[in-house]
Amino acid sequence: MLNDPALWHRIQFAFTITYHYLFPQLTMGLAWFLVYWKWKALRSGDEKYNRAARFWAKIFGVNFAVGVVTGIPMEFQFGTNWSNFSKFAGGVIGQTLAMEGMFAFFLESAFIGALIWGEKRLGPKLHFVAALGVALGSWLSGLFILVTNSFMQHPVGYTVLADGSLAFDDLWAYLLNPWVFVQFAHNQCAALVTGSFVVAAVGAFYALRQIHTEQSRLYLNAGTLMGLIASILVAFPSGDQQAKFVGRYQPATLAAMEGRFHGGRLADLAMIGQPNVAEQRLENPIELPGVLSFLAYGTFTSYVQGLDEFPKDQWPDNIELLYYSFHIMITLGTIFIGLMGLACLLRWRGRLYTNTPLLWALMLAFPFPYIANSLGWMTAELGRQPWLVYGLFRTSHGSSPVVSSGDAIFTLIGFCGLYFVLGVLFLYLIAHEIAHGPESA
Amino acid sequence: MSALWYVILAFMLTTYVVLDGRNFGTGILHWLVTRNRQERRQIIRAIGPLWTWHEVWLLGTGGVMMMAFPGFMAVVFSGYYLALFLVLWCILLRGISLEVGGHLDDPLWQTFWDAVFGLSNLLLAVLFGAAFGNVIRGVPLKPDGSFYLTFFTTFRVTGQVGLLDWFTLSVAAFAVLILTAHGATYLTLRTEGPIHDRSRQLAWRLWLASIPLFLLMTGMTWTVRPELLSGFMHRPFAWVNAGLAVAGGVALALGFKRNRERLAVIGSSGLIYGIIMTGAATLYPVMLYSTLPERAHLSAEALCAPEHSLRIALVWWIPALILSLGYVAFLSRYYSGKVGASSEHD
Ligand code: HDD
Ligand code: HEM
Ligand code: HEM
Repeated sequence: MLNDPALWHRIQFAFTITYHYLFPQLTMGLAWFLVYWKWKALRSGDEKYNRAARFWAKIFGVNFAVGVVTGIPMEFQFGTNWSNFSKFAGGVIGQTLAMEGMFAFFLESAFIGALIWGEKRLGPKLHFVAALGVALGSWLSGLFILVTNSFMQHPVGYTVLADGSLAFDDLWAYLLNPWVFVQFAHNQCAALVTGSFVVAAVGAFYALRQIHTEQSRLYLNAGTLMGLIASILVAFPSGDQQAKFVGRYQPATLAAMEGRFHGGRLADLAMIGQPNVAEQRLENPIELPGVLSFLAYGTFTSYVQGLDEFPKDQWPDNIELLYYSFHIMITLGTIFIGLMGLACLLRWRGRLYTNTPLLWALMLAFPFPYIANSLGWMTAELGRQPWLVYGLFRTSHGSSPVVSSGDAIFTLIGFCGLYFVLGVLFLYLIAHEIAHGPESA
Repeated sequence: MSALWYVILAFMLTTYVVLDGRNFGTGILHWLVTRNRQERRQIIRAIGPLWTWHEVWLLGTGGVMMMAFPGFMAVVFSGYYLALFLVLWCILLRGISLEVGGHLDDPLWQTFWDAVFGLSNLLLAVLFGAAFGNVIRGVPLKPDGSFYLTFFTTFRVTGQVGLLDWFTLSVAAFAVLILTAHGATYLTLRTEGPIHDRSRQLAWRLWLASIPLFLLMTGMTWTVRPELLSGFMHRPFAWVNAGLAVAGGVALALGFKRNRERLAVIGSSGLIYGIIMTGAATLYPVMLYSTLPERAHLSAEALCAPEHSLRIALVWWIPALILSLGYVAFLSRYYSGKVGASSEHD
């Protein structure tokens, strides 16, 4: 890996995209809470919903702005760091990147100012429309970028031209890539998990301090209910389907994700264990017999391939990280269902607002969906290796030949510094808004 | 088809410059037309709610470039690697300074972020100006059609050139002047009180100063790239755009004379559209000139995506443009009023 010419480009891309995605996941998750509260306010005329929407719109605005400024480098890096990849695949993936800009980002940013500053100017109806426009725009940008990513995971609808680059054979096949449907469902549910946990955490924070009581209940109710629904959907059916798709189209990836070095029927699902790549085995495993066969292919006796059935140059190049990412994501997903299930149960019994231990748990839980989302993407992206476009184009061929690794290291360090400052400011501003609170907004 | 997409790309990029140019300009002006912190806040509020809307035009342009001219994007973006990251970081800092400054009510930090705002906008205007100069001058293309540019070499315009030389620096200075004037014109429309009066005075002076400089720039351009003169003569599309520039200039002057601020802003936008689009039209069909003698220039034809992709894209690009005109109508209906000196949000 260290002699890979693309190494520093990969690290820079991985760093900047992981950082970028911390913000859009909250944007996409929170947007529907805003729509919901604006809708309730419109229907019931109850001012408390407007107050909630106003408070969260401010947090949304800061988060959105950081999403925008960190998103711009992403788009440019296709040209600056991945010029061979752009030349190779631009004729296909450029299409959705351009659509994303013109349809989704335009829609979002045209309405965002109206959502945050325009309540008085627009009046309640139009202000609701602005919230809806922002929500649709953010989900649309998610959709377009996932169409792009799905093509890289599972290329369809293309032909290879005489000069070796890609062109469309069938646009609809590209847009309706079966991979998109599961990826979009899973990813958007995961974004809703993030949104719900953040909303619930702020609610719990106020409840524990015994301030803003009315608002805190609103947040706890909406956050835990949405949190439970989204957490369940993330695991089943969408997460389960993701794994089945990986099994069908990227069998080597599935084997690596599960630390499965040897193929066979009745494949066991490892709950715990450390992959030892040098000796090609899983150490200290605790396994559920036959479950992997069942989860991946539907029967307990299905044959599941192992890594030994693939040439080594097609193995994902960081199997350990891939394995841990995947397993921690799933563990967190299971815990989320439990936590939110418990919260909903207590609310149904009328004890949620006073149960101090659970409120503490809800308040402290909000970083974990971020971790699960980042790990999920690492699973997807590390699992795709060594391919940039699966089966067609290797990652090591994709980087810009004229850019030296020194330049890439330099810009990577620059991003680290700037993003550190950005992160501190972001946390400060959010803390400021939360301390300020919804009532006096 | 590649010609059409060349026009679309030039149009989108120019739209970005016209829209975000207001922010560059106001950012540069920021310290010139204000006397205190309240006044600086007033300026930020005049552009605040719309800055992401302006910035996404750059993204739209980037996306369309990747779609229509992947070869161009690959060569140019990696060739200008460091300069582009400088642009990105300025955009980042500019965004942060707008957001953070608006949320902090503290004199020390507001002054700090106001300064960041001014400097990053100034640097952006310089970099975009230099980029325009680079497109005219060309880059040292290697036989394989790639290049890698340092910030500067000998400051001459042929051979192994860098990002900056005497010509591109002049274009950058000119761009700063024009965009500052453009920003000042916009401020006359969007503000009232002392800022309005100072902006108006400054805008008028800057526009007057730009006339002789414009003639000088035109002369310089012809010495650096004589091909452009014949390009201009042979391309009626360039004449149309030159006409647009002239009309913009007239509208601008009338707007100032008669105190019709909206007309003046339309005029200055038209003027900038006209100048950049004329440049783009005279460059065509070349997208990338070479400053080295042995390498041929790269044409739009050679850098564009397959015909089929371009045709598909046209089908959705036109509705997308119509939608975005709808947003413009919406925004100008709700964000056209003047911003006063008080600190109320609405
Ligand atoms: C809150 C976050 C979260 C949670 C709790 C889960 N996931 Fe996930 N997962 C994601 C967030 C995520 C993600 C970040 O959104 C990914 C990255 C790519 C994608 O589409 O979704 C992802 C990817 C991803 C992949 C990789 C797909 C690929 O290689 O392209 C698989 C197989 C799963 N997930 C399966 C699961 C299962 C079986 C879960 C059971 C609980 C689960 N995920 C919980
Ligand atoms: C937001 C979520 C995402 C995260 C956290 C993420 C994470 C990563 C990581 C960790 C890598 C490095 C893999 C390696 O080098 O071994 C990577 C690479 C890459 N990803 Fe993603 N990714 C995300 C979304 C996307 C999307 C949506 C696209 C495409 C549109 C994409 C395109 C790429 C490319 C081009 C590379 C560089 C080549 C490579 O190293 O594979 N990523 N990403
Ligand atoms: C290679 C991958 C990616 C690129 C090139 C990219 C590019 C961008 C850009 C340029 C912006 C700024 C848009 C604006 O001004 O409104 C942005 C924001 C956004 N991106 Fe990404 N992005 C990537 C990954 C993702 C992923 C994986 C998702 C989600 C599925 C996503 C969702 C969003 C959303 C919803 C926004 C709106 C702004 C915000 O939410 O903060 N992006 N992205």
